[in-house]
Amino acid sequence: MRRSWKGLAAAGVVAAPVGVGVVYAAAAAVGLVGVSRPDGASGQRVARVLAEPAVWESTLWSLWVASASTILAGAAALGTAAVFRGPGRLDRSARSAAVLPLPIPHLVAGVLGLLILGQSGLLGRAAYALRLVQAPADVPALVYDGWGVGLILTLAWKEFAFLVLVAWSALAERGAALEEAARTLGASPGQTFRRVTAPVLLRAMLPAGVAVFTFILGSFEVAALLGPSDPLPLPVLTLERYTDADLGRRSDAFVLALLGIGLAALAVGGHEWARSRWPDLEG
Amino acid sequence: MCRASVLAATSYRRRWKCRTQRLALWSVGLLALLSSTTACSGAPAPPPAAEVAALQWDSVLSMARGTTVAWRMWRGDPSINAYVDRWVAPRLRDRYGITLNAFPGQGPEIINELVVEREAGVSGSADLVWINGETFSNLRAEGLLGGPWAHRLPNAVLVDSASPVISRDFEQDPAGYESPWGRVQFALIYDTVRTPEPPRTFAELADWIRAHPGRFTHDQQFTGMTFLKMLMYARAGGVEAFQGGFDEARYRAGSARVWEWLDEARSSFWRGGEAYPPGVADLHRLFANREVDFSMSNNHNEVVTKVRQGILPPTARALLLRDGTIANSHYLGIPYNAPNPAGAMVVADFLLSPEAQLEKLRPEVWADGTVLDVERLPPRWRRRFAAAEADPRSLPRDSLARYARPEVAPRYHERLSEDWRARVRRGP
Amino acid sequence: MRSRLRLLMAGVVILSAALPFAVLAVGSVAGEWRWPALVPSAIEGDAWTATLAGGTRLGPALLYSLALGLATGVLGTCVALPVGRAIAELHGWRRHLGAGMVFLPVAAPPIALGTGLQLTSLSVGLGGTFQGVLLAHLIPTTGYLSLFFVGILSVWDRRAEDEARTLGANPRQVLTRVTLPMLRPSIAAAAALGFLISWGQVPLTLLVGRGRVPTLPLEVFGYVQSGQERFAAAGALLLALPPLLALGAARLAARDVDVVPV
Repeated sequence: MRRSWKGLAAAGVVAAPVGVGVVYAAAAAVGLVGVSRPDGASGQRVARVLAEPAVWESTLWSLWVASASTILAGAAALGTAAVFRGPGRLDRSARSAAVLPLPIPHLVAGVLGLLILGQSGLLGRAAYALRLVQAPADVPALVYDGWGVGLILTLAWKEFAFLVLVAWSALAERGAALEEAARTLGASPGQTFRRVTAPVLLRAMLPAGVAVFTFILGSFEVAALLGPSDPLPLPVLTLERYTDADLGRRSDAFVLALLGIGLAALAVGGHEWARSRWPDLEG
Repeated sequence: MCRASVLAATSYRRRWKCRTQRLALWSVGLLALLSSTTACSGAPAPPPAAEVAALQWDSVLSMARGTTVAWRMWRGDPSINAYVDRWVAPRLRDRYGITLNAFPGQGPEIINELVVEREAGVSGSADLVWINGETFSNLRAEGLLGGPWAHRLPNAVLVDSASPVISRDFEQDPAGYESPWGRVQFALIYDTVRTPEPPRTFAELADWIRAHPGRFTHDQQFTGMTFLKMLMYARAGGVEAFQGGFDEARYRAGSARVWEWLDEARSSFWRGGEAYPPGVADLHRLFANREVDFSMSNNHNEVVTKVRQGILPPTARALLLRDGTIANSHYLGIPYNAPNPAGAMVVADFLLSPEAQLEKLRPEVWADGTVLDVERLPPRWRRRFAAAEADPRSLPRDSLARYARPEVAPRYHERLSEDWRARVRRGP
Repeated sequence: MRSRLRLLMAGVVILSAALPFAVLAVGSVAGEWRWPALVPSAIEGDAWTATLAGGTRLGPALLYSLALGLATGVLGTCVALPVGRAIAELHGWRRHLGAGMVFLPVAAPPIALGTGLQLTSLSVGLGGTFQGVLLAHLIPTTGYLSLFFVGILSVWDRRAEDEARTLGANPRQVLTRVTLPMLRPSIAAAAALGFLISWGQVPLTLLVGRGRVPTLPLEVFGYVQSGQERFAAAGALLLALPPLLALGAARLAARDVDVVPV
C-alpha cells in the first residue's frame, strides 16, 4: 500500500510541470492571465477558437504528418533491424551508420530537408545534371506542399535512427534469448518470428513510437521550415497566434496549446491502455 | 536457504533504494540551493527612465559608468551582430565604462516577455529594446515603456526631425519613449541578368506576373504584408487616403482593391498562389536559386549586404516601384522595468553619434540608413556620409526620397495580415 | 541475390547517414552554392574563421551547451533512477498510471509546457538563468529517463544479486561488485541520452532562457531564421560532433537502451 503510494508520488513529481503548464494555459485561455488585459474569466475565446475550421484542419493535418512519419520511420527501422542483426562486418557498419543521425537536432534536420528536398535543392540539381528537368519548377514540390511529403521524409529520417536503435536493443536484449528458447522447444522459424520476434519488437517499439508520434505532433522547428501555408501545422499555428500583431489574439495560442496537450495525453493514455491488455511477456 | 536469500535480497534492495533516494534528494537540494542564490539577490528598485532623464547628462554618464547594459535585439544577421559586438561594444567599454550585452529577441517576444515580467512582478531583464511600429504601439498601450527620455540625449539635436519618416513611427508620436536609430525603405530585389527590364509600377508588375507564371511570390510575415500595404496605397488613392488613424470604412475600401489585384494575379504566382514562403529569408533563398525572379526587403540596402555575404547573386539589385514604397524608422526603447536606464540612455546616445551612424551606414558593415540630418553636420562628416552612400549597388538618395511613403496606423497592418491569412492564404 | 539486396540496403543506410554530414560540411564553407550547381562555385571560410577568432558566439555557446547538457544528463539520471525503480515496483493499474504520468512531460508539446514555465520560472527568480533552463531541460529528461529505468528495472534479473548473497557477499559487496557493474551501462546510456535531450532543445530554452541563455541550438536557430546558411551549417556541425562522441559512449551500452526517444 505504502509502496504504491510512493511510486505514484514519484511519478507525480515528474509530471507536475505538465500540470503547471495546463493550469497556466487554461487560465490564459479563459482570460485570467495573459497579454490582453484580463477582465474576468470567459469561455468565449475557447469557443471561438474551437469553432474555427482552420484549427481543425491544422489538427488533422498534423495528425497525418505525425502518423505517416512515425509509421514510415518505424517500418524502416524494423526492416533494417531485422536484416542487419548479425555479427558480420556489413551488419556492424550498417548499425553504426544508421544511428549516426541520432545526435542531429531536429532544427538541423529541417534545414537539411530544405537544402536537399526543396525544388531547387540538391535532389533537384542532381535531376538537372542528369537532364531530367530544366528548371526548379519541373521538380516535384516536396516542401511547403499540401501533403507534407518533404516534412514527412525529413522527420522519418530523423526518427529512424532512434527507432532502429530501440529495435536492435530489444532484439539483442530479449529477442535472441527468447528465440533460442522457442527453437529449443521445437518452434519453426515462422512460428518463432510470429510468436516471439514480432511481439518482442512490438513491445519495445510501441512506446518509442508513441513518443516519436507525440514529439512530431508538438514540435514546431521542422514544421515551420518545411510545412505548407495552408493548412498551417498545428504547432506553427500555435506560435503564429502567440506572436500575433493583434494582442487580443495572442491568448488564442493557449487554447491551441491545451488542444496539443490533450492530444498528447490521449496518445499516452491509449498506449498505456493497450499495454495493460497485453499478457506479461517478461513474467 | 531460499527464505534467507529472499530476506537478504529484500534488505539489500531497501538499502540500494535508500542510496538512490538519497542521491535524488541531494540533487533536488542542490538545485534548490542554486535557485535560492538567484532568487534572494533582490536589489532595490532602480529609478525609472523619466527620473534619470531629468538629471544632468554628466550625472547620467557617471551613473552609467561601470554598469552592464542588456540589449534585447534581433540577432539574426552576422553583419549587424559584428557591428554591435565588435565595433559598438568595445567603444562603449573604453569611453563610458559600459559593458554591452546584446541578446536575441524581437517584437512580439519583447511584448510577451514584459507582460510575463509584469505578471511575475520582477525586475526587468532588458535595459534597451529594438522596436518600431506595432511593437511600439502595443508596448505603449500596455504601459510597458519607460520615459519620456529620448529628447534628453545630447545627440538628439542631430536627428532629422523634420522628416515625417523619423518623427512619426507608424503615425505615432514617439513622445520621447523611443529614440530613432536607423531608417530604411522598402525595395523589390531583382536580378539584372534575369530581368534586364523590370516592371516599375504595380500595374506593370501585374502584367509581368501574368506573362511569367510561377515567378513571383511574397512571404507570410512582415515584409510580405508591407508589400500588400504598399499595394493598398497604390490602388486606393495613395497613402493620404489612409492617414489620420485607422478607419474601418477606408480600410474596407482599400483592402478590397488589394484582394481584387491579388485575385487577378495570384493564379500566376509561384505554386499558383497556394503556398507562400514562411519568412523573407526563405523568399531570398527561392530568389537566389531561380525559383522566383523577385525578392523584397524592408531595407533598400539589404541587397548590398546580402550580396556581400553570398546569400544573393552578385547581379541582384534593389528596385523602387514608382507608385511609392514604404519608408520607416526603427528605434530604441527602455522598458518600464529596466534595471539600468542610465546605461541604456548612454548607449542610445552613442548610437546616435555621427561616428556610430556612419559606421552602420557603410555597405561593408550593415548599410542601415542614418536618422541624422546629414546637411546639418560639419562638412567633414557630410563628406564621409556622402562617400559611404556612393556604393554603385545602393539606390541614389534622391530617388529614395522621391518615392518614400510613410507608414500609417499599425492597425492597418494588423487587419491586412489577419484578412490576408483568412481570405487569401486559406484559399477558396 | 539476397546478399546483393543486403548490400543495397546497407548502401542506402550508410549514404543517408553520411550525406547530411557532407552537405553540412560543404555548406559551412560554400560561398556561392545556387541552382543548378551541385557543388559550390566559390569557397568562403568566414563562418569558421569568425568562429575561431571569437567573431561569432558559436564557440562560447558550444561550451555553455556542453555544461548544460552534462548537468542535465547527470542530474536527470540521479532523479530518474529512483523514480523508475519506484514505478517498476508498482503493479496493475497503478503501474500504468505511473508510467503514463512520467510519459506526459515527454509527450506534451514544448511550446505548451514552456509558456506556463515562463511565468513560474520568472516568479522564483530563475527566468533567463542557467539554473532555470537546467530545470526546464530536466522536465522532459526526467520523464524520458524514468520511462527508461522503468523498462530496465521491470526486467531486472535479481538472481545474480541473490546468488552473490548465497555465496556470502555482504550487501555492500553485492552493490559494488554485482549491481552497479550490471547497471553501469544503463546509467551511462541514460546520462548520454539525457545529454542529447538537452543538447537539441530549442523551445524550452527560448521560453525559460528568455534569450539570455546562449545555447548552441539557439545560435543556430537565429542563423536559420535569417537565412545565413553558411553560419547555420557551421553551427550545425558543431552541434553534431560532440554528441557523436557521447553516442559512442552510449553505444557501448546500447543493448540496454529501451524507451528513450531523442
